[in-house]
Amino acid sequence: MTEPYANLAERSPENSGQPRALILEFRGSARDYFRIWAVNLCLTLLTAGIFSAWAKVRKKRYFYSHVILDGTPFQYLGRPIPILKGRVIAATLFSVYYLSSHFFTSVMPYILAAGAALAPWVIVRSAAFNARYSAFRNMTFRFDGNYLGALQAIYAWGLIPALVVGTMFQWWGNYKGAAALFGIFGLAFPWWISRLKNFIVSHTSFGGENGKFSATGGQFFKVYFIAGLIVIGAGIITGLGIAGVAASASIKKSQFAFLLFSLPFYAGYVFAFAYVQAHRGNLVWNQTRLGPLRFHSTLRGGAMAWLYLTNAIAIVASVGLLTPWAVIRTLKYRTDHMRVLVEGELSYFHGGDTSAVQAAGAELGEFFDVDLSL
Amino acid sequence: MNAGTVTLQGQYYDGRQPIGVPATLVFAGPEAMLIGANRSHGYATRQLLVSPRVGRAERFISLPDGGQFQCADQPALDHLPHESQSEGLVAWLEKHLSVALASVAVIAALLLAAYFYGLPAVAERVAARIPIETEQAVGREALVWLDNNQWFKPTHLEQDTQNQIREGFDMLRSGLPLERHYQLEFRASVIGANALALPGGTIVITDDMVHAAETVDEVLAVLAHEIGHVELRHTMRHVLQNSAVAVVAATLTADAASLSVAVAGLPVVLAQTKYSREFEAEADDFAFKLLKRHDRSPEAFATLMERLAKKHDEDQHAFAFLSTHPVTAERVKRARAAANGSASTNHPITQKK
Repeated sequence: MTEPYANLAERSPENSGQPRALILEFRGSARDYFRIWAVNLCLTLLTAGIFSAWAKVRKKRYFYSHVILDGTPFQYLGRPIPILKGRVIAATLFSVYYLSSHFFTSVMPYILAAGAALAPWVIVRSAAFNARYSAFRNMTFRFDGNYLGALQAIYAWGLIPALVVGTMFQWWGNYKGAAALFGIFGLAFPWWISRLKNFIVSHTSFGGENGKFSATGGQFFKVYFIAGLIVIGAGIITGLGIAGVAASASIKKSQFAFLLFSLPFYAGYVFAFAYVQAHRGNLVWNQTRLGPLRFHSTLRGGAMAWLYLTNAIAIVASVGLLTPWAVIRTLKYRTDHMRVLVEGELSYFHGGDTSAVQAAGAELGEFFDVDLSL
Repeated sequence: MNAGTVTLQGQYYDGRQPIGVPATLVFAGPEAMLIGANRSHGYATRQLLVSPRVGRAERFISLPDGGQFQCADQPALDHLPHESQSEGLVAWLEKHLSVALASVAVIAALLLAAYFYGLPAVAERVAARIPIETEQAVGREALVWLDNNQWFKPTHLEQDTQNQIREGFDMLRSGLPLERHYQLEFRASVIGANALALPGGTIVITDDMVHAAETVDEVLAVLAHEIGHVELRHTMRHVLQNSAVAVVAATLTADAASLSVAVAGLPVVLAQTKYSREFEAEADDFAFKLLKRHDRSPEAFATLMERLAKKHDEDQHAFAFLSTHPVTAERVKRARAAANGSASTNHPITQKK
């Protein structure tokens, strides 16, 4: 019963050649999400965290099913048990790390090495889980990256190994070595992020079409560089202000001045953070293609900073009760500033036998079906 | 058509292309029928699976042949087989504002009770069961690290002074449960007048601290405080409590953390500093009792604290506001109360500052 329906739906005359926009909207409401948030948080605390896997499913379901693309909501298919398994694994690994960092410091280098070896696996598993259990119009996403690919993406430039080895042999005691490592890491970081995003996007597929990622490390560098300038600028203003006042004023006044001038630094930091979130997000989406789909993300650093700031104030002032409201408005801002464009036909996507939503449940028994994303 | 017939309007997706087709799902008792644009198909109702209800979102019904039907949420769907039974109850709870408000009340009560009573009590009991030997390796490593990284230098104290202090220290620790684990170290240090209890029972006192003290009793008062930290297992309790706070805070702010940089970190720091202050007060009380047991007056502690606070103000004029300890006055007051305690517990101690 495939063919006649498909032809019928896509036989709209206006979409020849010119890309058309699919309507994307977020219909979540703070009132509805508040109830979900409160009930799930309460059950999580009452069950000493075990329910958190169910809570994650409920929240993800809520977000997915209230994002509506071209009239159809997304669907989250994740099940609590694999998530619980993933959380038990994560908690165990973290406890081992935590104990060794506090009590058995001699085994620390081995723990770090094991962590470095596990990192690619964690990335692959969480990407695969997220893709497998995300569906749109009865078709699930897929992720076909493997351990070796992730290993290459993370370690190809030897950055992390250098850091791990450096920590293992306590190069941190040597300030010049540490500074050099830090400098190299800082400079290479944008290219590293770019490789990582490329790995994720190009191995994610929908309806037989793999994502294509065309952002370069240089473009990421620009984002981080501007964020760095913002922080440095705020730092200079703060430094000058404090130095100026400290030279002249009395103690009482300098106390006040210190507080006053730490504000621009804090504001600069928040703004830089928001700037990175916005422009890195734009870069990743705008340079991603999925079959006939293109994305146009227009997040703005200033608007995001304002969002973060007002969220923080609201959450603190309400002792956390406005958290759901903050979450919803942030998601709404993000969806409102995203456009999805189709060049050609959606029939370009072809699902296989295993892509239908029902097939996702078939793999439930698989041991490595764990969710390691946070 | 009979009364049991339900008709749902929605979209049909075949799972092969992301294209929806307007369709109608009709079910009457055990029979269901999907009617599409130009054909229809029959199913057994028990083979259909409905996705869980969440908020006001549309629902999905999985068909046995791999197709999917999407429609608005409606009570009629409750009679179909559900994909996830366990979520039904949660979805029901989520529907009611009263349940949500009750949840908030339970969360608040749980957190407050755990923070003020539960966690400190549990940490104290757990710490008491963990042998102090587990901390010793860390303590040793910490001392070596501090020695190697210019924080500590060999002491310049006279051997006589050292012996005198050691003698008093041995007296203080004698008879304590952890007596044999104590080790006293003297060091010259950039950290100024200070004393610290490292994990596992090593207590370090700096030369500046010994110089700041005018009598041996004052030095012993400081050491008694550090002994309190060790004896009350503050290192272990600190680790246990702070990790519990961090884990709970991470759970609570999981939603907010990605939104607001400041929101996640601040409560943790505030919560943890409260515990630290409590440990200080506990160690003080322990010290006062210990001193009195050996016929020393906690007054020595009070005089030393006052002198240190004064000296501190003079040394660091410009940044005094950063290191103002409103606690000092309180600690001095409590020390004096303890000093006079046996005679006049009922009389408020009025002490000019």
